[in-house]
Amino acid sequence: MGDTAQLTDEIQGLTEDLARASLAIARRFSAGATMWCASPTWTFHAHHVAVEFVHPVIVGKRALPAVTVPPAADMVATLRASVAPGDIVLVLADADDPRVIDTMRRGAAWGVETVWIGAGTQRPAAGSANHVIWLDTDVPLEASELFVRIYHLLWELTHVCFEHPGLLKPENACTDDVCITCSDEGRPAEVVLVDGDEALVRTPDGQERIDVSLIESPSPGDLVLIHAGFAINAS
Amino acid sequence: MPETTDFLYPFIEGDETDSGTLLEDLARSAEGKWRQSSALREATLARCEAQVRVTASAMAERFGAGGRLFTFGNGGSATDAEAVAHLYTQPPWGRALPARSLAEDQAVMTALGNDVGFELVFSRQLIAHGRASDIAMGFSTSGNSDNLMRAFAEARKQGMLTVGLSGYDGGRMAAEGTPVEQCLVASSDSVHRIQESQAALNHVLWAAVQAALA
Repeated sequence: MGDTAQLTDEIQGLTEDLARASLAIARRFSAGATMWCASPTWTFHAHHVAVEFVHPVIVGKRALPAVTVPPAADMVATLRASVAPGDIVLVLADADDPRVIDTMRRGAAWGVETVWIGAGTQRPAAGSANHVIWLDTDVPLEASELFVRIYHLLWELTHVCFEHPGLLKPENACTDDVCITCSDEGRPAEVVLVDGDEALVRTPDGQERIDVSLIESPSPGDLVLIHAGFAINAS
Repeated sequence: MPETTDFLYPFIEGDETDSGTLLEDLARSAEGKWRQSSALREATLARCEAQVRVTASAMAERFGAGGRLFTFGNGGSATDAEAVAHLYTQPPWGRALPARSLAEDQAVMTALGNDVGFELVFSRQLIAHGRASDIAMGFSTSGNSDNLMRAFAEARKQGMLTVGLSGYDGGRMAAEGTPVEQCLVASSDSVHRIQESQAALNHVLWAAVQAALA
């Protein structure tokens, strides 16, 4: 496995990504999240993650709400119907899986924390998920073995975070009016229904009616940005 | 955690605010566990090398005679059973081989669990499906699961080849008089590290089966 320093270099980015994802997951669970686990190709990995969190192997650890998206289901449709703002969506998939790309890009409008675990020289595009935990290997069996390690560690580190209640409070609570996240600068939303120049959209804060007269042929499922009550951009 | 040790944990009251230290600790902990997993993997594969060869050749013989692989386990081990069935039927290379996880069909699992008892959920399926040329492969970290032991006993009764993956000291699956002919053990007392080494064992065993069939 090489010497100690070499291994440290090889997996440093990975362990740091695991640490950040674990803290984010612990924060979401603390605030009442459900974790939705999905894998279009490796259902058994998604099942393993979910059972890990629901039924901990260490007696006395909290049982946490985690669910596997049924393998035969339409991933986007199932998650759209199921997730609540504040939930976690964890996916194990290659970087080019169109169902996963389409799921992850909706994360901001749904208000969910997205975690993408995968492997291969091709990585997901920058910013395509809140957390990308990636292995460089293109060898499928090596990746499969290391995925087990990765989600075991994710569970172990998440439970370490629960021992630090002071750090589980929501991060970046906005208190002043210059915060770009909370102002009406361009909030992500997903179109639910279209009614003429108006549409019902879904945002992390709930559903709202907006004006869609500035965008071309809006339809349900479209992602838009809301500015001052108007959809200004289909993304 | 007992109150008397609270003084050891200055932030126990929940007023900790700097996540930087925690993130560093988490990353360091992950690296340590990564090393442990790698070390157990290497040790397990080295110790089981000859046994993997013998098991693979017995499995290849069964597959050659038209045998099928039935896998089973509980919880995380049920997902390992599913992963192995997936690997044999949809291999990244080599020959696709008939394999199926007995834990995957929720209609059958709940029917048997409800009607005859959870300790019989796998053995009853082997009664329905099993043939003497088949292979029964069960996964457990403790090596003690009752429904696995029942399934192995049924499989042996039918003349199937029985292969087990276990942890700790092997448990009942590796004890004297066991119905498991080949029990591959990942010796650790951490369920997670055991499953990680079992995943490696599954892969080298599968590759050895492919080599034996080539």
